[in-house]
Amino acid sequence: MTATVPSPALSSAKLIDPKALMSIRSLELRARAVVEGFWSGLHRSPYHGFSVEFTEYRPYTPGDDPRYLDWRVYARSDRYFIKKYEDETNLRCQLLVDQSRSMNYGTRGYTKALYAATLAATLAHFLHLQGDAVGLLTFDDQVREFLPARHRAGHLRQLMHALDKPSAGSATNLAAPLERITALVRRRGLVALISDFLAPLDQLERNLLALTACGHDVSVFQVLDPAELNLGLEQPALFEDVESGRTLYLDPAAARADYMVKIKAHGEALSAICRKLGINCHRLSTDQPLEIALFGFLQERMKRGRQFRRATRSGNGGVS
Amino acid sequence: MNFLAPLFLLGGLAVALPVIYHLVRRTTRERATFSSLMFLRPTPPRLSQRSRLEHLLLLLLRCLALGLLALGFSRPFFKETPLIDPTGARPKRLVVLVDVSASMRRDGVWPAARERVEAVLRRVAPMDELALLTFDRAATALVPFDEWNRTPAGDRAALASARLAAVTPGWAGTHLGNALITAAEALAETDGKRAAGPRQIVLVSDLQAGSRLDALQAYEWPKGVDLLVEPVKARNVTNAGLQLVADSADSAAAATPTVRVRVSNSADSKREQFKVGWGRPDGSADFAGPPLEVYVPPGQSRVVAVPVPKNSPASDRIVLRGDDEDFDNTVFVLPPAQQKLSVLWLGRDAPDDVRRPLFFLRRALSDTPRLAVAVVARAPTAPLLADEVDAASVIFVAELLPGAPANALRERMLAGKTVVFTPESAAAAPTLAALLGREGVALEEARPGNYAMLAEIDFKHPLFAPFADPRFSDFTKIHIWKYRKLDPASIPDARVVARFDSGAPALVEVPLGKGRLIILTTGWQPEDSQLAVSSKFVPLLYSLIELGGGVGAPPAQWFVGDAVPWPVGATTIRVPGSATPTPWPADTKSFTATAQPGFYELTVAGRAQRFAVNVDANESRTAPLAADELEHLGVPVAPPETDAARPVENKLLLQGSAAENRQKLWRWFIAATLAVLLMESVLAGWTARRLNVKQEEPAS
Repeated sequence: MTATVPSPALSSAKLIDPKALMSIRSLELRARAVVEGFWSGLHRSPYHGFSVEFTEYRPYTPGDDPRYLDWRVYARSDRYFIKKYEDETNLRCQLLVDQSRSMNYGTRGYTKALYAATLAATLAHFLHLQGDAVGLLTFDDQVREFLPARHRAGHLRQLMHALDKPSAGSATNLAAPLERITALVRRRGLVALISDFLAPLDQLERNLLALTACGHDVSVFQVLDPAELNLGLEQPALFEDVESGRTLYLDPAAARADYMVKIKAHGEALSAICRKLGINCHRLSTDQPLEIALFGFLQERMKRGRQFRRATRSGNGGVS
Repeated sequence: MNFLAPLFLLGGLAVALPVIYHLVRRTTRERATFSSLMFLRPTPPRLSQRSRLEHLLLLLLRCLALGLLALGFSRPFFKETPLIDPTGARPKRLVVLVDVSASMRRDGVWPAARERVEAVLRRVAPMDELALLTFDRAATALVPFDEWNRTPAGDRAALASARLAAVTPGWAGTHLGNALITAAEALAETDGKRAAGPRQIVLVSDLQAGSRLDALQAYEWPKGVDLLVEPVKARNVTNAGLQLVADSADSAAAATPTVRVRVSNSADSKREQFKVGWGRPDGSADFAGPPLEVYVPPGQSRVVAVPVPKNSPASDRIVLRGDDEDFDNTVFVLPPAQQKLSVLWLGRDAPDDVRRPLFFLRRALSDTPRLAVAVVARAPTAPLLADEVDAASVIFVAELLPGAPANALRERMLAGKTVVFTPESAAAAPTLAALLGREGVALEEARPGNYAMLAEIDFKHPLFAPFADPRFSDFTKIHIWKYRKLDPASIPDARVVARFDSGAPALVEVPLGKGRLIILTTGWQPEDSQLAVSSKFVPLLYSLIELGGGVGAPPAQWFVGDAVPWPVGATTIRVPGSATPTPWPADTKSFTATAQPGFYELTVAGRAQRFAVNVDANESRTAPLAADELEHLGVPVAPPETDAARPVENKLLLQGSAAENRQKLWRWFIAATLAVLLMESVLAGWTARRLNVKQEEPAS
């Protein structure tokens, strides 16, 4: 699991309070605010421009696109070399956003769904700015919206619009969207799964495995309300499950210890699955600034990029 | 502080309710949503955390309100020492009316009545005035007011008790109305010396339904006199009574003569089956012959015809068996006797000549079971026999009489005889003159052209009174062919009772001395008129005989207390239960000492004459009088007075009740409850608002 502790550089920057952010009605504005603030906070960052970094030369083989030939090298050495940049790989990111009913819970004045949508929009905006193609798939117990990853004018707005749609979903079903995305997205890319994962994890491993097996780079964001993390309820009451409608009488003071154990075990189970599959799992509380999430994501990307580079340098495997 | 209804204090236990409410308040009322319950298990409501009371002031107010309410309902009062001055009360004036009618003879009634009187005497204060009266048909003073006042205060009750002990119920009926009026008037009389205190009649009676109250209907009850009823009850309620019913004419004429009695059963009787039959003269319990079974439901009556036994001349009473009370179970019956009368006819008619008036007279006056009229016909020329004249109720004169008999007849008429003069022709005018004792009385033969009718009839005259009803008053069907004209102006004192349509008198009455002369100016034989063949003839003849003093024997039975007319010439009377006759003054008008039922035997001119006296039939109606009957008649009936021997607790309770009624502390408690509830509402509202604000603060 990626640590969500901000770096010294980030912590010194002025982060946007999620509550204030969520009071902005437009999702696009929210995303822009985060990303631009993030840029301004990161302008001295050593990671600036990582995605346009030169990677390698490799000999031309018949079948390669002739437009990628480095004509200067050819002029010098009379050999065909293909010049490869990392950004050339053109990251295709698919955002999987959970819009089930349990996401409509929130004690901070906004719901987890809003937080998740803002997170997704922020990521989309950020990637879009970088020139990556971003796609969206929203789901609850089945797939609701699907936008293939594209990078063209208006796509981002369409995506924001899809994220802004009120969710009418019911229960969380992680298997369906994962299977669907496996079937739909053939080209390898980044898959960011944003959900509260408050559902049985039985099939999650198999589905994530299918994704990773297809070559997708998977990131998991678990969005939880602070009240869900520590059962921050005070009054004993008759509690109703927002998804199933089931009610039960609960005294939080009495149930807290047991709950903490179980939610921790659940989180660990999720982490274990992710670790096993080499997936990064970010646990986000809705009271955390979104920049931290974004920073964690980027940090992880960088790490993976380095790993990837190390792996490609040490071996001969390439990336097409 | 004392409480009238201390049980209501238990309502104070309800203060536990708000305490519990404050402890368990809102444990289950709140609902909340949560994203997922998959990590949660239900926990039972825990009170331990809530066992501390919240909003102590509210709780106190609620408890206080409940406590005050319970106190208010338990009707508290402060004990007061009653300030009653025994000498301060105004002197009462009491009349104690004790019923001594026949119905008081029932089992257990008289001792109970005496006990009631003793209780009243015990309650009387020394300065009270009291009169003790008994009553049946009329009230009799046992101890009048002045005697009570004369007697030393300590001896008064003893005197009244002693007088009452000497009295036993009689046999007479209950004329309660008369007695109440007597008592009320005795109370209304004041000597003016004392301040008028409360005046009260204490009525000690069985208040049977047969009490006569009709006298009260025309009486205006004096103000300030109220009636306290001390009812006494008989041990047994089943009572049936007997009453002799007037004989119908055919019962005596029947092959087996019967005596009809009415058996009435009291409304509250328990039995319905009785036996009625002839009793033995010695008064023993068994019947003289086989009794009749009679079924009479309670509150109803049946008339039973009891056959008169043949060959048993001693049967003189009918008895009833099967009820609880004996006092009204015997009626004394005198066998119906045929009255014998005679009518004297002075004329020459042959008895069998169907054209002559005598023939019709004989036919009209045939024998009835109650009456046998003998028509004695004598020739006008024959000398008058004194016996025949004495015996005759009416003497008919149809023809011219010689001077001597006419004068003799006039003498007898002046002495009281009734003579009917029906001249066959105008030639009989001298006889009329002789009878009237006047000269110049003329008769004139009149023969109307067609026929004459009776027109102006004086139906108020006793002769025509039976025809006064419009159904019978039509005499126009009787055609009269001829009559004798008479000038009524020629006879002083003559009263024309009927006239013909021509205006000539048809029937004239002339009072003469003690007797009277009735002149019928037409005959009833077919030659003169159709009167003999009309339906009016026989009643008219009987009216004549009645006018002559013949018909109308005294009734065979009287009730106890009735005044029986004293026959002329009677000197002794033997009352029931005594073996020897008692001499009685001959100038008595009526005999009132009919104090008990039975046969009374008079000696009239050496001949024994009996009459029966029975118990008033109303005495048999022993069911209690309806409670409001007296009040309907305007008598203010006071509620039963509290007994002096009432338990002390009751007295205390009454005093407490009175004190509570005066103080009405419960009002203050209820007002305080309302005030506390108001405060509670204000406080609760304020608390709720504050809590809401508190909850909204973290949310915003």
